[in-house]
Order: sequence, then C-alpha cells, then structure tokens
Amino acid sequence: MDTMIKIKITHLNFSYNDHYVLKDITAEFQENSITAIVGPSGTGKSTLLTTLNRLWEGIPNARMNGKVEIRFAGHLYDIYDRYYSLSELRKAVGMVFQTPNPLPMSIYRNIAFPLKLAGHEKKDAIADRVEHALRDVYLWGDVKDRLSENALGLSGGQQQRLCMARALILEPDILLLDEPTSSLDAKAGGFIEDLLQNIKGRCTILVVSHYLDQVKRIADTVMELSNGTFIEGEM
Amino acid sequence: MTRPIDTLITILSWISGIILLGAISSIIGYLLLKGIGAIKVSLIFGETNPVDALFLRKQVFDGIFPAIIGTFALVVLSVGFAVPVGLASGIYLSEYAGPKIKNVFNLSFDILAGIPSIVIGLFGFSLAVFLHKHLSQYIFPCLLISSLCLAFLVLPYIVRTTQVSLENIPEQTRLTALALGATKLQNIFYVLIPKSLSGIVSGIILSIGRCAEDTAVIMLTGVVATAGVPKSILSHYEALPFYIYYISSQYSNTEELLRGYGASIVLLAICSFFFFIAFVVRNRLRYHAFYRI
Repeated sequence: MDTMIKIKITHLNFSYNDHYVLKDITAEFQENSITAIVGPSGTGKSTLLTTLNRLWEGIPNARMNGKVEIRFAGHLYDIYDRYYSLSELRKAVGMVFQTPNPLPMSIYRNIAFPLKLAGHEKKDAIADRVEHALRDVYLWGDVKDRLSENALGLSGGQQQRLCMARALILEPDILLLDEPTSSLDAKAGGFIEDLLQNIKGRCTILVVSHYLDQVKRIADTVMELSNGTFIEGEM
Repeated sequence: MTRPIDTLITILSWISGIILLGAISSIIGYLLLKGIGAIKVSLIFGETNPVDALFLRKQVFDGIFPAIIGTFALVVLSVGFAVPVGLASGIYLSEYAGPKIKNVFNLSFDILAGIPSIVIGLFGFSLAVFLHKHLSQYIFPCLLISSLCLAFLVLPYIVRTTQVSLENIPEQTRLTALALGATKLQNIFYVLIPKSLSGIVSGIILSIGRCAEDTAVIMLTGVVATAGVPKSILSHYEALPFYIYYISSQYSNTEELLRGYGASIVLLAICSFFFFIAFVVRNRLRYHAFYRI
C-alpha cells in the first residue's frame, strides 16, 4: 500500500570520480520496519544511506541523479528539492556510524548537543529528554551518576549506545545505521539489536550489516546490493 | 632486528633535537648572562619615578618604558587586525572555497609570505606618504600604519595554519554534527574550530612572535628613537626591537650595550607573556566554551 511507504527511491545513480557506485536503484522502504541492506564490500551500501540524508554532498567529485522521496506528515517530499532544508532533513533522518564518534565533551553535553543545534534552551526540558534518551538505549543506569564525565571514557559498546541516544533524542522519523555492531563484542551488539527491536514501532530503520545471523534476527526485510542493483526479499 | 639505516636516522634525529635545544639554550643563556645585571628599575624608567611613569604623569627619557608600551600596542593592534581576517580567510579556504579559488588564494598567500619585511615596510611608508598627500596632512608613518603592515606580514601564518588545521580534521568528525542536523556554520563553530584550536593557536603564537620582533617594517613606518609613550594610534612611537637595534649599532660604552641585552630579555619576557595568554585562551576555549547548555 502506498501509505505504508516511508522512503521511495527512483532511478538513483551515484558516481564518485566518474566511477559508478550505485546504478539505477529503484526501491521502496516500509514505514516502522527494519530493513537490512547487505552485500559484498564496495557495493555502495554505506553510500546508499548517505543519499537518504544527503551527507554525501560534502565529498568532492561525487555526483548523484535520480529521485529520493521521504514521507513526512503523510506527504512524500523530494528531499533533493533545492528549497528543502538540509538541517531539517538530517534532524528527521538520524544516522549512527560504524565507529562510535562521541565528541570530546561530557556524556550529558554529547546527548544534549542535537537539542542545542535545534535551538532548545530550557534546561529542565533538555535534562528530561537526555534522561529519556539514555533510558531508551539502556545506558541510564551506567551513567546517571557520571553525566559530567568525558564521553570518551566509556567503553566501545557504551559509546555506540551513546551515539544512538544522541541520534534518537530528536525523535527522528528514520534511523540509518551503518554496521552499528561491527566494532562491538557480542554482548554489546546484543544490546543494540534489542534496542532496534524496541524502537522500530516509532521509527523506520535501515541497517547495513555484514552479519547474516544478525540480519535474520532483527530484519523484517532484506535487500541485497550487488553490482549496484537490488535483490529484494522478505523475512 | 633494527636495520642500520633505522639506527642512523634515530641518531640523526636525536642530534638534530639536541642541536636545536643547545642553540636555544645558548642564545637565552647568553642573553641572561650578559643582560641580567642590567635589569633594574633604571633600565625601564630611567631617572623618572616609576609611579609617575606608570600613571603617565611624567615622561621617561632614559628608560625603555615607552618602548615596552609601544611594543605592547604594536603586538595587540597588529594581531588584532590579523587574527579575525586570517581566521575568516582560513575558514573560507577550508570550508567554502572551490578548488580554483583555493588555488588562487593559496598562491597569493604564498607570495605574501615570501615578500621581505623591508618591502612591506616600504609599502607602508609609501602608503603613509600617499595618505598624507591626498587624504590628510595629519597622517604620518605611525603606530597604525606599522600595525597594519605587520598584520600583512603575519596574515599568511594565520591563514595557512587555520586552513591546514581544519582540512586535517578526519571525515567522520566533520560529519558528526552535520548528521545531527547542524548547519554548516554550526558545524564550523561547535566542532571544527574547537577541534583545530591547537593548530590555530600555533599560528597566532608565530604571529605574536613575528610582530614583537620585526624591525624592518617598523623602521619605515613610524618607530623612532625618542617619542615617549604613544599618545594615539596616529602618533610616532618607540619599540623594543628598534631600541635593541640602534643601541647595539651605536653604543658608545659597555653599559649601553648591556642595556641592549637587558632590553632583549625584556622583549623575550613580553613575548612569553603573550604566548602564555594564547595558551590560556586555547585551554579555556574547549568544546564546552563554545556552547552553553
């Protein structure tokens, strides 16, 4: 059904230094589900994610054509329309990178950072949202007594969950995850998987993964990229 | 097993470091040895009462107090002109300029960096003459012209260190705030500049040192042997580098030469003070100083 489609990609081509990474991609992603994107290395999985929040645009010699539409408030919007606000898009389409990247400041400031960027000023409201975000990622118990400590002192798994909390605090419609558990141990990875299952009811999730076991555990839909084309299948 | 070439390079590296340390220690040691005895109240204030001199009630004729004030004013003004322009240029070249414009600007700044300071001084003198002739008869070579010329001299340092520091930030760090909805300007101020502060401050420190010690520029643009404390930015002034230059070239007895060494120590102390301020500012301007929450 058209109303269930959250993301619609039409004839997307992406090249870097005149070498095509994505060729004529056409795909649709369902709302409030987890879609796993798999495929060999170098097939453009991470690049595909960056076309959904336009994060590729700072890369020199990168070119893209095609259409990407995302449903917000019941309407499909072309996110490459020149009047579409980049910062508003990226607040609605959150991203978590493969390697945890907390900023060198306190745990509290890291989580509150997106709110500051969005112009939120009320301290009490910010504190509430920070706590809520940390609870969402099962990190509140670990850090509630040391919120002023540097986030770089956390373990790898905790840092990745902190990055997820930071991405989730603005309540994005879509969450893009680029191999979120590849640098984590099995236990930490398990936390992330549980978290994704819990939030998919309020968020459309696209996750790039190399772990087929993980894909089988969490994904509603699997899409395989190979030579720039998609092979779609449902779980 | 270590290869002979690795051992040779290690030894050469150590020797280079030791030579450098040795050279710095020798220069500073020699200056201290020769000049420490000349560090007295009379070196700074001459025959004038220090309190009267500090509150500008009386002029100082035989002391370097006016030169100290002149040097302070020179450094503050020239760095004050150069830092905002240099920072903005570095940020523009790193974050906004396309490749063609970047090449043009980089070449321009490289040429500017290669211009001898005496040529910049000559430019400043010509500018003063032009303004005197065509704008106002009250414009002479002065503190303002000297500061502007010194700002030109040090601009390439600040631009280049800012640009390189920003360009060397890893891609993922650069994308962190953007992925959270930051605008380009927010990313620059909240993430990129704090991340590259160390490099930027290094450029500023280089500039401070250059402004404090350059003699060629100020000789042609307003410094004189005796002018007292500068009354305004449009007046002549004294400065320590010029004082050291003319006293070491025209001393008539050993005592005068030792005063030159004493003035050199004072100049080093002034530079150290500015470097200390730069380090303090850098340490205070950490991430959390850029945004309050």
